[in-house]
Amino acid sequence: MNEMFAVIDATTKGQLDKLTFHRMPGALPFAGKFRLIDFALSNMKHAQITNVAIFPYGNYRSLQDHVGSGKRWDLDRRKDGLFVLPPKHFGIPTDDMITFQRMNEHIEYFRRSTQDYVLLTQANIVWNIDFNAVLKEHIEKKATITEIMLEKKRLKTFIISKQLLIDYIIEYDLIPYKTLNDVVNDAPAIEVHRFYHKNYCRTINTIYDYYRANIDMLRFDFGRHVFKEDRPILSKEKTAPPATYETDADIENSMVASGSLINGKVIHSIIGRDVIIKKGAVIENSIVMSNSVIENDAHINYAILDKATIVKKGTYIEGTSREPFVSQKEQIMTNQNDFSILHVSSECYPFIKTGGLADVVNGLTRNLAKNGLEVSLVLPLYQSVKKNYESVYKKLFSKIITYNDEPHKIRVYSLVYKQVNVYFIEHFKYFERDKIYGYEDDGDRYAFFNLAVTSILNDIGPFHIIHLHDWHTGLIPLILNDQKSPELTLLTLHNIDYQGIADANIIRKLNIKQFVYTHDKINFLEIGIDNATKLTTVSPTYRDELKYDYYGKNLTPVLLKRERDFYGILNGLSRKDSPQNDSLIITKYDAKTISAKIDNKLFLQKEMKLDMGLDYFVLGIVSRIAEHKGFEILLPALEDFFTHTEDTQLVLLGTGDQYIMEQLKHLEAKFKNRIKLNLGYDSTVPNYIYAGADLFLMPSRIEPCGLSQMIAMRYGTVPLVRKTGGLADTVTGYDPITKSGNGFSFYNYDPHALKQALYEAYQLFKNDKTTWRKMMRRGMQSDFGLKKQATKFIELYQLILENRTTR
Amino acid sequence: MKKRVIAMVLVGGRGTRLGPITKFTAKPAVSFGGKYRLIDFVLSNLTNSRIDTVGIVTQYEPHELMQYIQRGATWDLDTSDGGIHFLTPYTSYEGEQWQKGTAHAILQHLRFIKEYNPDYVLILSGDHVYKMNYKPMIEAHKKSQAEITIATFKPEDSLSRYGVLVTDEKENIIDFQEKPDQPKGEHASMGIYVFNTACLEIILKDALTDEADFGKNIIPKALHQGKRLKSYRFDGYFRDVGTIESLYAANMDLIDHPEYLKLHDYKALPLYTKSQDLPPHHIASKAVVSESLISDGSLIMGRVKRSIISSNVLINHQASVENSLVHAHVKIGENAKIKNCILLENTYVLPNTSLLFDEITVIDNELLWALGGHEHE
Repeated sequence: MNEMFAVIDATTKGQLDKLTFHRMPGALPFAGKFRLIDFALSNMKHAQITNVAIFPYGNYRSLQDHVGSGKRWDLDRRKDGLFVLPPKHFGIPTDDMITFQRMNEHIEYFRRSTQDYVLLTQANIVWNIDFNAVLKEHIEKKATITEIMLEKKRLKTFIISKQLLIDYIIEYDLIPYKTLNDVVNDAPAIEVHRFYHKNYCRTINTIYDYYRANIDMLRFDFGRHVFKEDRPILSKEKTAPPATYETDADIENSMVASGSLINGKVIHSIIGRDVIIKKGAVIENSIVMSNSVIENDAHINYAILDKATIVKKGTYIEGTSREPFVSQKEQIMTNQNDFSILHVSSECYPFIKTGGLADVVNGLTRNLAKNGLEVSLVLPLYQSVKKNYESVYKKLFSKIITYNDEPHKIRVYSLVYKQVNVYFIEHFKYFERDKIYGYEDDGDRYAFFNLAVTSILNDIGPFHIIHLHDWHTGLIPLILNDQKSPELTLLTLHNIDYQGIADANIIRKLNIKQFVYTHDKINFLEIGIDNATKLTTVSPTYRDELKYDYYGKNLTPVLLKRERDFYGILNGLSRKDSPQNDSLIITKYDAKTISAKIDNKLFLQKEMKLDMGLDYFVLGIVSRIAEHKGFEILLPALEDFFTHTEDTQLVLLGTGDQYIMEQLKHLEAKFKNRIKLNLGYDSTVPNYIYAGADLFLMPSRIEPCGLSQMIAMRYGTVPLVRKTGGLADTVTGYDPITKSGNGFSFYNYDPHALKQALYEAYQLFKNDKTTWRKMMRRGMQSDFGLKKQATKFIELYQLILENRTTR
Repeated sequence: MKKRVIAMVLVGGRGTRLGPITKFTAKPAVSFGGKYRLIDFVLSNLTNSRIDTVGIVTQYEPHELMQYIQRGATWDLDTSDGGIHFLTPYTSYEGEQWQKGTAHAILQHLRFIKEYNPDYVLILSGDHVYKMNYKPMIEAHKKSQAEITIATFKPEDSLSRYGVLVTDEKENIIDFQEKPDQPKGEHASMGIYVFNTACLEIILKDALTDEADFGKNIIPKALHQGKRLKSYRFDGYFRDVGTIESLYAANMDLIDHPEYLKLHDYKALPLYTKSQDLPPHHIASKAVVSESLISDGSLIMGRVKRSIISSNVLINHQASVENSLVHAHVKIGENAKIKNCILLENTYVLPNTSLLFDEITVIDNELLWALGGHEHE
C-alpha cells in the first residue's frame, strides 16, 4: 500500500524542562536504547510508508543526527524518502501542534508528494500502531478527517486527504483554524471519524509522562504491546557489548541496555547503554540514561538521570513518583548542601518594596533558609529602611571604598530576619534619598552598590554562590571576574524591561581593567548576563521565549550566547495567598468547601454595585494597566463579548496607562450595569476579585511568570490566559473533547483568538457546571509553592558548585 | 578503480571440530559473547583499519553468512567504490572450480583481485577472535620490502596445534613447521598474510595443483623459492576457536578477563555487530544474576551465574543456568537446571529438565529429543 505519506510533527516542545535543553522531545532517549521518534518512524515502516517529512522546531541537531538518511526505517530511497523540513522563521515560537502556516513554508513538499492521503502524527508518542488499519477505516467510513484516539485522549494524529490538507495550508491566513485540531474542534460540516487505538499509548509532554511511560515498560502487559517481535521498533544502530553483571549485582524487575556494567542494586528501573553502577550503589524507581556513572554507595530513588550524569560516592538523590528528580546532561552530583548563599538585590520585602521583585526575593531567601541553607542578603540602606529599622539592626563595621578615584566611607549594619542574615550598606550620598530609583545618577548609585558588595564579601562571607537579582546587581560578576575572585555568581532576570543603561565611564570609575568598550553607554543587565556563572529567569517558557527577538529584544544575542547556562525556574506563591487563610474575604473556603465561593461572588457583585445573581458569568481582571498586559486585544474582544451576551459581568482592578484607562472607561460607559472598573488600586482589595469572579482574564502579550493567575487558581477562579511565559507553564488549556485542563488558553495574539476562548469558557460555564467545577478544583490543587521554587534553586546551586570546573 | 589494499576473507572452513555447533552454520557465523558472531571480529578489524574493499570467499553454508553480512552496512563497509563482495565457487569453461584448499579459493578469484589492481592483498580468516589494526602490519610489510608478511602470535597452549614460523633475529622467516611435535620457534602463524599482488599471482599460478592451502603448501613453497618472507608480531589477544573447548574458553574470557578484548572500549577498535532491533533485556523481580553477560530482548526470571546469555532468551522461574553459553532464542522452562552447557539457537528446554554436566556439552533440540526430555545426570 503506497497511498499515504506522513508528516511527523516535531514542532512542539512540551514541558520537559531540562530534558529538552539540548534536544527536542522526539530525540529523547526511551526505554534504555530507543528515541521517542523511533516509534513514529517504525510504525510508518511497518505500514510501508515511504515518504515522510519531519517538521522540527529550532534546535534539531540531535534529531537529525539520530534519523540520518532514514536508512534504518527503509527511507533512504530514490523516490520519496525522509525529509527534514526546518522552520524558515526561527523567530516564531512554537504552538501546541504544527500549524498550517508552518506547513505552508514547505508547501512544495506537499504538492510534490504523489500519495492521496496524509498521515499527520507526533514525534513524541510511545506506541505500536498499524497505520494501514487506520487508513482502511478512514476510506471505508468515507471520513473527511480521521482522528486517532486512545479512549478519551487525543493523540494529535490524523488522516486527511492530501488535497484538503493542501487547501487548508494554502489558505492558512484566511481560515479561522490554525491546526488540524482546530478544524476537528470547530469546523462545521466535516465528517470526523474517530479511530480508537486499543493498546498501550502515551504522549510525552511532561516530565511525569516521560517517567511514567518508561516505567510502564517494566510491566509485561504494556511492554509487549509496544515491543512486538513481528513489528519491532527500529532505532539507530549502536555498538555495545551485552550488559555485564558482576559478583555483587542485585537486580529486581528492571530493564538494562547493552554495554552497562552492573555491580550494585537496581530495583524497578530502566538503565540505558554503557551505564556503570558500582558496588553498594542502590537505584530504585529511576531512569538512568546512557553513559552515566553511579559511584559506590550512592542511593537514587525516583530520579531521571540524563546522559552522562555522574553521581559521586555516597550521594543521595530522592524525588517522588509525581515529581521525579531530573539531572542535567553531564551533571556531576554530590550531596553537598551545607553551602552559604548571598543574595544581592535592590529591594526585598518587608524592608523596601516597589514591585514584585521585593516579594520574590523575600519568599526565596526565607524558604532557602528554611531548607537549611545559610542565606544572607545585602541591600542598600535607603532612607525609609533606616527610618523603620534603625532601632533593630546593629552596626558591624565601616570601610573606605575607592570609586571614581575618590574615597567613600560605607557602614555595614545587619539583622536576622526569618533566619536570613540581612546586611545593609550605608552610604549617605547615594542611598539616602526620598525615592529608591529614578535619579539621573542611578548608574553611579548601583555601580557603587555593586562595588561595595564585592568589597565586603570577605568581611561577611565567605559565600559559595552570590545570587544576583536584576540589573541593579549586574556589574558584580564583572567586578569579581576582573579581580579574579573565586566566587560563583547566579543572575536572575526578573524584568528585562529595565536594563540599567548608563555612561560607559562607570567602568573606569570602578577601576576595571579588562573591558571591551563597544559603545559610549553600558548596559548593566547585559554585562551581568555576559559575566555571571549561570543565569535564570522566572519561568521555563519565558526562558525559551527570550531566545526570540520578540521577547528578548536587544538581549537576545547575549542570551543565546549563554543559552546552555540559562535556566527557567517558576516563581512560587506564598501560602498566605489562599482562600482558607484569607481574612479579607467574606467567607473562607478551600477545595472541599468550594461552594462557599458563591458568598464571595455575591459579595463582589454587591460591593461593585452589579446586579446580584449566581447565573451571571463574572469576569475578573487584576492587572497593571499596560500595553503588554494584552489590552490591545482585550478591549475589542470584550466589546464583542458583552455585545453578544447579556448575563455577563466584568470587574477590573488596576492602574497605569492613561490612554488605555480612557478606553476602558468608554467600555464601562457602554455597558454601565455590567462592567465596573476600579482604576486606582484603592478601595476594593484584589482578593475580592480572586475570590468572587468565575473567570480570571490574563491575555498578556508578554508575561515572564505572572502570579495573579496562580492566585486566581488557588481561589478556584478559572484562568483564561494567553499561552506565554509563566502562563503557559501554569495553565493547561481546556480541551472540549477530553474535558481536561485547569483553565482556558489561546496562543495567537489577536482579538479573535481571545474572543473564541472567552465564548468557549462562557459556554462551558453555562452548560456544563460539573466540568467547570472540576476545573476549579484542579486549579486549587495545583502546587505553585515557594518550597518548590526553593528546591529548584537548591538543585541549581548544587549543579553550579559540582560543575564549577567547567567554566 | 585502483585500491592500495584489498582484503580476502576466507570463510569456507567447515569447522568440523566444533561438532553440532557448525551443523547448520558456517564457522564464521557462530555466536560469540552473547550478541556477536565470529565474523564480526574480522569485519570490524577491517573497518577499523580503513580497508573498505573486501572479498568474502565462501563455500560451506554461505546463506546464513550472506544474510547476516548483506552489504556490510553494519561495519560501514557498504561503500560505493569498494565494499563487500561475496565470492562463491563457480563453473567456467575450464570446468568446475570447486575450491581445493584456501589458496585455491583465492586463485579462483584472482580476476576479482585484479579488478582493483591493489599493491597488497591482505588474506584473513573469518573465524578468529582478536582485535587488530592491519595498517601497521601493512606499513611494516612495505618498509621491510618483503614479498610476504605473516602475522604471528605466541600461543598460550601447545604449539603443536599451529603452524610454527622460525625466524632469524630480523624477523625474516627461515623455516615453517606445520603442527610440529618439536617446534623450533615460539611463534605461530595467525593465518593473516600480506602479499605483494604480483608475488601472490605468480605463486598461486605455480601452485595450481590438487590441494593448495596457504599454511600447508604455499608458505613452504615460497620459502623454497627464496621469496622474502617476514614475520609480524602481534601482542594482543588472539584465539583460534577451532574446538568446543577453545570456543567456550574464549567466551568465558569475556567474564573473567574483560581487559582482553575490551569490548567496552569504543574508541580504539570498536567491535561492531548487527542490531537485533530488540528492547533492552528485562530482569524480573525474583531473578538472580551474577558474573554474567546478558543481551537485548531476553527475559530472565530464574538464576544466572557465570554465563553468557544471547538475545531473546527466556529463562523461566526457578530455572538455573550456570557456567553456560546460551545462544539466541533459547527457551528454558521452569525449574530446569543447566550447568556447563552450550545451548544452541532455538533450543527449547522443557520444564524440570536437568542438564548438569562436568564437561562442556553442546545441547540442541535433537540431543534433547534423544534424551527424551527425561532427567539426565
